[in-house]
Formats: sequence, structure tokens, C-alpha cells
Amino acid sequence: MKNIFYLLLFIIFLSNSIYAQVFNNLNASFQSNSNYYLDDNKTGDFNYENRFRSNNYLNFKSTVFEKIDFEIQIESYLPAAVINYSPNLKKTNVSTFNFKYNTDKLNITLGNFYEQFGSGIILRTWEDKNLGINNSIRGGRIRYFINDGVNVTALFGNQKKGFKYSKGYLMGIDSEFDLSSSLNNNTNTLIIGISYLGRNDGTPTTNLYGYKDLTNLFSTRIDFSSTNFYSNFEVVSKSKDAIVQFGDVSTTFIKNGSSLLFNSGYIKNGLGIDFTFRRIENMSLFSERRAFGNIYFESVVNYLPALTKQHDYSLTNIYVYQSQPNISFQDPKMMKSGEIGFQFDLFYFLEQNSFLGGKYGTNVSINASIWNNLKGDYDYYKEYVNTNLFGFGEKYFSEFNIEIRKKWSKKFESIFLFLDQYYNKKYIEEKYGEIKSSVFVLDNTYKINNKKSLRFELQHLNSKDDNKNWAAIGLEYNFNYALSLYVMDTYNYGNPIKEDKMHYYNTGISYNKGNSRYSLNYGRQRGGYFCYGGICRYVPDSTGFSFGVTKSLF
Amino acid sequence: MKHYTILFFLLFNFNLIELKSQDKIPNLYVKTIDGKPIRTISTINSEGLTIYSFWATWCIPCIVELNAIHEVYDQWTEETNVKLIAVALDDNRTKRRVRPFVSGKGWKFEILLDENQDFQRALNIENPPYTIVTDGVKILQKRNGYKPGEENDLYEFILKNSKKND
Repeated sequence: MKNIFYLLLFIIFLSNSIYAQVFNNLNASFQSNSNYYLDDNKTGDFNYENRFRSNNYLNFKSTVFEKIDFEIQIESYLPAAVINYSPNLKKTNVSTFNFKYNTDKLNITLGNFYEQFGSGIILRTWEDKNLGINNSIRGGRIRYFINDGVNVTALFGNQKKGFKYSKGYLMGIDSEFDLSSSLNNNTNTLIIGISYLGRNDGTPTTNLYGYKDLTNLFSTRIDFSSTNFYSNFEVVSKSKDAIVQFGDVSTTFIKNGSSLLFNSGYIKNGLGIDFTFRRIENMSLFSERRAFGNIYFESVVNYLPALTKQHDYSLTNIYVYQSQPNISFQDPKMMKSGEIGFQFDLFYFLEQNSFLGGKYGTNVSINASIWNNLKGDYDYYKEYVNTNLFGFGEKYFSEFNIEIRKKWSKKFESIFLFLDQYYNKKYIEEKYGEIKSSVFVLDNTYKINNKKSLRFELQHLNSKDDNKNWAAIGLEYNFNYALSLYVMDTYNYGNPIKEDKMHYYNTGISYNKGNSRYSLNYGRQRGGYFCYGGICRYVPDSTGFSFGVTKSLF
Repeated sequence: MKHYTILFFLLFNFNLIELKSQDKIPNLYVKTIDGKPIRTISTINSEGLTIYSFWATWCIPCIVELNAIHEVYDQWTEETNVKLIAVALDDNRTKRRVRPFVSGKGWKFEILLDENQDFQRALNIENPPYTIVTDGVKILQKRNGYKPGEENDLYEFILKNSKKND
């Protein structure tokens, strides 16, 4: 209650016109996601406090005195946060704030900041309201552009978790050298990057265990690109650190980590080919060791996303691969130490007026990926693992998919998607079972006139394993550019258990005007891995209403 | 407690606060498709309006929109000198797919990489597709979402505001 009072005071303070002259380029936005949960005789009653739950975000940005930017974000979880958000997010509080001093050569930030070193393998802090992630660092950061080709970033601070901060600290340096700019080479680019990150857990350890208070990570990357070809390579090492298993920081199982990434591609007009190889071993990093594996992604320091195609349809997101960066000894028959594999992509445009291209041309894209455990000598009882550099162990996941986009006429367009997948649930989720499945999707859009349009989607998942077959049907009607309505049903009709033959129905309406958006949905949400960006989180089934607002205030 | 929640809602759903603000493109670093740092304001079109289209390789409506604009883009640039900059919000999971994707589509837009979403965050953009039209650094219009055919509406706005380029 007190907090709300302060919040109101703050707004009144801002709305005073005198301050409007000091603050220029003032910008404020509001976002709210609320749910009202209902009991469901199929999926069960809602067994938590507060059926109504609401996440609210208020953000102010302003420039003060020309070169200084100020930003504050206030978050309010009232009466409670939407379920599956961290219990550390409660009531109203200042979430982040910062002052930034900006010139062409120098950027200084004090307060909360988001940063990524290279590809994020050693450090990435970011915000994702959809998943309740905000792992920004509170402290200081300096970025200096020495000349056109060289820049250095240094940072220090504590990492945010909920409304609190980690005990330990993070410190890091990232430097980038653009060699092509100093050689005055305009057709080719060659960039080298070197970074360091240190993580201190905040709990003193004794040297007896064979690891130190400060865990050090180093990364070296090289990035080359020319008109038709590009290639990049990154090597990362992590110093010895305790393995965390079943919530315990081990005093006996100590291991270093590493990562290797190679990516290369060929492009010309109408064609793109890309290949990525990655190997990661024991690479997870949390600002507090004990936070390892927490389902809210709190205290996550680095970013190790699954390198697979990110799908958009409900049935293509039932068996979603999650990267396996960790050492995990579950039992003598199930031991993991990381991940090795590759991904391949091809994008091709079949020309207009060609035999296959048709009048408007056709887009084809093919994607394939395979990910395996690291091969090596494992000993469960001795807590020992020694991996081979390029050895492929047990298969975690593989997928092949093809997507064709075809415009039939000025009014009618289709997307066709087929995928074939292998998902090793035993290894990925540390449960049991393996799933082979294939999915078909047909997505059609028909423009009725200049403003009205209709989208119609059909999906089918075919599998002899796990919950067997699924089907989904969806319809979306756009009344005009602002207003749209959708209905969707996902049905697990193949489930061998009669009570589990579940319909996941959803319907909703959304209204977009300028930069504002309002949406209202009703339905039953399928539990499982809810993914946004490269991060997936497990959520249970739920039924109810949800309501969303995004709005710029001024 | 509930009363406060309602109050909170009311306050921000209706514009009780009237403050004049100049909406400008934030000046920060993003990356070119080659991975070089570049200032957002240095990408602004000097000969006409600029469209910043925030998209991602995993965002279907974004791709539909950019494909639709791609088909008429030559005409747009000829008539109004407008420039479209497609800002990819792909993070390190899908970032590597951006370049072959764009090439495979044959798009001729300038591409920027906003890998850690600094540009997106500075503009308080919740999700793509999101389109901003600017005249120099000044933001003229913001559009949330995309519906089939909406590119025509966008172009009408461009035509209306491009007079000085006649």
C-alpha cells in the first residue's frame, strides 16, 4: 500500500508541467498481463490463492540535461504474480533504474543494465516479460570507442533476481577489434573479439575442494564476412567449478567447462545456406551456484539456447528441444556432460514465372539439426568424466523440416510445413521415453478486401509414442487493421487414456491502435514447455481468462 | 488491496496525464549484418522518410508484412525516396539464420541486428511486428502488429508525409 502511495506521488511529481521542461524526450509506457483462473473439471481445480493475478509494468524514460538519459521501471504484481512467475516477484516495487551518459565515443551506465558479450555464451543479461526474466546487472558499465575499429566494455555489479540482488558479483571485460576498418577494406569484414567474465558466488569456499571463489570464463571469437560468404568461430573456457546436482553444491565433483562454436554460410540473391556446429560441456553459469536449474531462470548469467528452428505453431511446439549444457549424473545408466551437434539451413526463392515458382514465386526453406550427448569415459561412482572432443554420444534430438510459402493470387497465400522429429525425453527432461513424431501444418490467408482478411490453419501430429496423435484447427478473422478475433482448438484425440483425450480450446479478441494493444482471451492452456526466444519453461495446464494491455502514455 | 489495483489500471488506461514530449529515435549502438557496431541515428534516411520495421525470423506476420512490402518496394522508393530498415530482433538462438533468410527471400532492405534487444527496449516495444515511421530522428508514427493489407495503409501515410520530396 505504501508503495502505491509513493508511485502516485511520483506520477504527480512527473506530471507537473515545470518538470516537463527539464525532462525532455519523455517517454512512458505501461504494460499489463492479467489472468483470472477458473476450475476445470478435466484439468482440475485452481489450487492456489488469488484467482485474479496481474503483472504490471510501468516504464519511464527521459533525457535530462542533454547527454544524460534516465530510466526507471516500476513493477506491480497485485494481488499476486501470474502463476509460474518467480515467488520473488510480489507487490509493487522499483524493478530497474539507470542513468546513462552518452557521447559518440563514451557510454557510461550507472544502475541496471543489459549486456551481451559476443554471442552470449559467457554473458547475457536481458528482459523477457513473457517468461518473467529480468537478470539485469546493477552496478556500473563503461563502453569506450577508441577509434572506428576498436571498442572496449567493462562492467561490474550484482545480478537481479526478482526484486532482490545476488550476494556475489559479476565483473567482465569485452573488447572488439575490427581489423578490416584499419586495413580500409570495404568488401570484407574481419572482427576479433576477446572477453572475460568473473563470477563470485558470494559464499566463501575453502580451497580444499579444488575450486576458487572466483570462477573465470574466457572467450575468443573471430568473425569474417564478404559479399557471398561468411564464417565465424568462437572458443570458450570456464575454470573449475563445483557441479550442482539435486540442489546440492558438490564438494567432490569439480570440473571445468568449455564451448566451441563454428558457423559458416553462403549467400547470393535468392539463396542462403547456413551451417552451425556447436559443442558445449559443463557451461551453465549462475550468479549464485545454488540457483542452478531453478525453473524461473533467475540468476542466469549466460545464454545457451537450443540451436534448432524456432517454430510458430502449437503442434510444432509440443516436443521442443532444450539445450543440454550441463553435467548431470542421474544414475549409472544416465549420465550427461553437455551437448554436441549441428544445424543446417537452406533458404531458396523459386523465381516468378518459372515452372515451380508460378506467377508470384515460391519460398522454400529446409532445416535440419541433430544434437547428442558428449562421448567419453563416464564413471558414476567416482564422479568422473573424460570426454572426446568430437565424439557423439547418445542422441538427444534430431529434426528435419521443410517449409514452402506460396502466393496463389493477389488474395490467397499458403504456408505448408512438414517436420519429422526424434525427441529423447529420457535424456532431455530426465524422465523416460523416446518420441518419434511428424507434423503437418497448412496455414492459409485469404484477403477478402483491402482491410478484411481470414486466416485458416490446420495441423496434425502423428506419433506412436507418448500421448500419440494430435490435431489442431484455428481460425482468425481480421475485421480491419485494428480488430481481430481468433478461435483455436488443439485436440489430443489419439491419447490412449480416455480421460486424457483433451481439447485445448482458446478464443480471443485483440485490438491494436497506433502503439496500443488490448487483448482478451479465454481458454484452456496446454501444459508443457512454454518457449519464448531461446528459453523454455515448464508450465502446468490452466484454464481461465487473460487480459493484456500495452500502451504508451506520453 | 483490490481498490489499489483498480486505481492502478484506471490511471494508466486513460490518459490522465498530459505531457508534451518529443518522440525521437533513441541514439544507441546496434549491429550491421556484418557484425559491425553502428549508431541507430546514422542509419536514418537523408532523402526521405525512414521506416524501421522490427521483425524476427520466427515471427510469421513480420515475414508476411516484409514480403508484401518487398513486392512494392521499388515503387515506394521511386515515388517517395522512403527507406525501410528491417531490424532483426533474433537473439543468439536464431541470429545466424537472419542473413541466409534475407538472402533467400531476395529482400533488398537494409538489415540491422538488435541481438540483445537494446533498440527494442529503448522504444518499449513488446513484441514484433512493430513499425515506426520517422522524419529524420523525429518519430511520426508507431504501429503495433500487422494485418494482411496493412502495408497499403502504411504507404498512404508515407505518401501523405513525403510531400517535401516532390
